[in-house]
Amino acid sequence: MEKLIRQFWWKALGVIILLYVFIVGLLVPLKPGITLVAPSSAVTGQELILDIEGYNTNFDKAEDTLRIWLKMDNERSLLAKRIEVNGPRNARVAFIIPDYLPSTQRVQDFALVIDNPIDGASVRPNAVLITQDSIDPDQGNQVWINEPMTGLHERQGITFPFRNILGETIRNTYFHVSLWLAMMIIFIAAMVYSIKYLRRLESRYDYWASALTSVGLLLGGLGLLTGAIWAEYTWGKFWSWDIKQFTTLIALLIYMAYFVLRSAFPDEAQRARISAVYNIFAFIALIPLIYVLPRLTDSLHPGNGGNPALGGEDLDSTMRMVFYPAVIGWTLISSWIASLLYRASRLEEYLWDKWDEEDTI
Amino acid sequence: MLQQTMRLLWRDWILEWRTRYALSGIVLYVLATIVLVYSALIDIQPKIWNAIFWVIILFAAISAIVKSFVQESQSRQLYYYNLVHPLALLLAKIIYNTTLLFVLSLLSWAALSLLTGNPVKETGLFVLAVFLGSMGLSIAFTFVSAISAKAQNSATLMAILGFPVIIPILLTLVKIGANALRLIRDTSISSDILILVAINLVLLSVAILLYPFLWRD
Repeated sequence: MEKLIRQFWWKALGVIILLYVFIVGLLVPLKPGITLVAPSSAVTGQELILDIEGYNTNFDKAEDTLRIWLKMDNERSLLAKRIEVNGPRNARVAFIIPDYLPSTQRVQDFALVIDNPIDGASVRPNAVLITQDSIDPDQGNQVWINEPMTGLHERQGITFPFRNILGETIRNTYFHVSLWLAMMIIFIAAMVYSIKYLRRLESRYDYWASALTSVGLLLGGLGLLTGAIWAEYTWGKFWSWDIKQFTTLIALLIYMAYFVLRSAFPDEAQRARISAVYNIFAFIALIPLIYVLPRLTDSLHPGNGGNPALGGEDLDSTMRMVFYPAVIGWTLISSWIASLLYRASRLEEYLWDKWDEEDTI
Repeated sequence: MLQQTMRLLWRDWILEWRTRYALSGIVLYVLATIVLVYSALIDIQPKIWNAIFWVIILFAAISAIVKSFVQESQSRQLYYYNLVHPLALLLAKIIYNTTLLFVLSLLSWAALSLLTGNPVKETGLFVLAVFLGSMGLSIAFTFVSAISAKAQNSATLMAILGFPVIIPILLTLVKIGANALRLIRDTSISSDILILVAINLVLLSVAILLYPFLWRD
């Protein structure tokens, strides 16, 4: 450790990785998507005219090759009869909905699929709900003219996935989520140094534990802040007392109490020992707060209250190429800050000792 | 060690019984709160009853447990240090506080019921919640009071250290309490109880592991 904090390669690596994360994470475009389909409900036996608003799309450039479907399930879909393009992001399409649907449900949901060679294919699930007057699946099968989706295109180039509701805020994954992961790594390191202190009783371990805890607290605060900004765009409010927001706030309060505790003891050895004990205790208390309790209660946060967690198709291979470096980058930068704090407290100790010597003479 | 624990436990009871200072003070506090709440609200809804009950238990726990290590003088601590195993001391305090808090909770439940009627529909579940709750609060506050007893103004420090730690316990307790009062119907109530037991066990094992580092001064 003592050698490592004088070397600069890992600090440079951290800066480079974070530069890469900021540049790539903020500049790579999103995949084309569909932000609006209106009207969102219809009845059978009519010509259905839909206004479509795309995102990052090039409807005007691909006007002749544009194909749009209403998809009922994996086998059945309807092709649009007329497409009228009004600019790169807007189009008006007409479908003919048969009198009967091959479905036993009164209200059937349809996904909207758009495909063209420039943008590739994009889907909006549950775009239109179609209500049947009378349910007759046999007759529905007879009148259904199936136009299957074939020859879908794949968009060329590097893009991030488009998700409804999330939109551009999907980039916050590289900041919010990776800041939390880096915070966990830093807090684990702080706990390891606290254990080391209790085993060896050397004051430098205490300085490390305190430096790492303050950096972890900073990361946690930033994680909470980026989470609140994300919540403003997706949940509609910066702070909605969601269980996840509440418990993480409490977890950060536990760590803030660590510094109150430190300031309560004037004697160095006593302060180091008791705060090491409390640091281990705080980490153990953090686990149920952040990872167990939110899972049991209703929550808006992904991964809690039955919501899907991050992973699977939400984190595709392009995002992984930015997300994992982001975690490493934040960890390296925070270790750098922690090592500066550590050196500052060593210097402070040295200066106080010197002052004490001069004072006695 | 078990024998030492029992001796210390017995000694704590005797000391308490001789003065009856803590016990009567807390009983007075509980009764005063209940009377105040009752005269302010008169008609207490089960929802409010649930909240008030756990608030009373929380503050009863703080005022009962803050004394457990703070009341012991430095010289007496040194005396213990020479005589007994640290875990015996910690376990004696935890068991004593759990019992005290459990009895106090049942007393306040009885007093609340006397004044406002008993809204608890599932008595067994509620008694279980009260027991696990007094155990969790005792473990957390006993450990925190062991930490803060070393500092100058320990009561403030104990509040700062203790409150965030007991929030998960209180959240689960309020939920189980609402179930016992049939305010909400939760099919996963057994997992809530398991969570409470798990939190208690984790806090207890952390306290047992770390206390030997704390006490020698």
